Amino acid sequence: MSGSKIPPLPPECLEVLKHVWDYLDDQLTDETTARLRAHLDKCQQCFQYTSFQKNFLEAVGTLQLRPGASPELRDKVLGSLRQEGFAR
Amino acid sequence: MDDVYRFALSLTRDPSDADDVVQETYLRAYRSWHTFAPGSDCRRWLFTICRNAFLRSLEREHPTVELDDVERDVIGAGEVYAAALEEGYTGLFARADVGPAIDRAVRELPEPFRTTLLLVDVQDQSYESAAAILGVPIGTIRSRLFRGRRLVQERLLEHARDLGLARRESPEARETP
Repeated sequence: MSGSKIPPLPPECLEVLKHVWDYLDDQLTDETTARLRAHLDKCQQCFQYTSFQKNFLEAVGTLQLRPGASPELRDKVLGSLRQEGFAR
Repeated sequence: MDDVYRFALSLTRDPSDADDVVQETYLRAYRSWHTFAPGSDCRRWLFTICRNAFLRSLEREHPTVELDDVERDVIGAGEVYAAALEEGYTGLFARADVGPAIDRAVRELPEPFRTTLLLVDVQDQSYESAAAILGVPIGTIRSRLFRGRRLVQERLLEHARDLGLARRESPEARETP
């Protein structure tokens, strides 16, 4: 990649860089997860990088706390279903 | 219904259109209730119907962009981190006041990245479930997700620069994993 700000990295750190999201999404094999976890335990920079990405995913995840369907929409949907024969 | 509404809103980006899609979703669900397998994930089933209702509501298909280089996006996220480290913004995502900027960055994501990111990162659907809902392979979910995340991070870093957010951390380490 041209203009990359990423310096040459040891293979273990490069593996974290490439698989950090797979790791946080629990998409890796047990073996790879264990290898990354062991590296994170001893590499402060990779640990901080993983924490950075974890904070990002947690911040995005808070978007689900936003308001949902309005009472008017619930009534509208229920009305439509009743017209279809739904009884409750 | 809240989750279905949020998903519909993420697709339509318009509250009124989202209402229509939700209403259509529940009507379709009611009419095809016999196809629902007891014990299966009802929310996933509704998301699938919702997505199909949305697509049918469109007069034209949204253009889609697929990726062929997931690694580029993962490395790109590393570059965002390198810049954040260099500029003192590594705590950006942990700030309580960054929520509106994340919301805006996600809303402005192009499709299909936005819907994929919302399904996995916000609606907490698995890769497998998102793939079933959107009718694409899991690998496509992964590539869309990683691109979407990178784009959101880039926007958030721009946001921090634009606002001149205080550099609350001193960038001691200059290297990136």
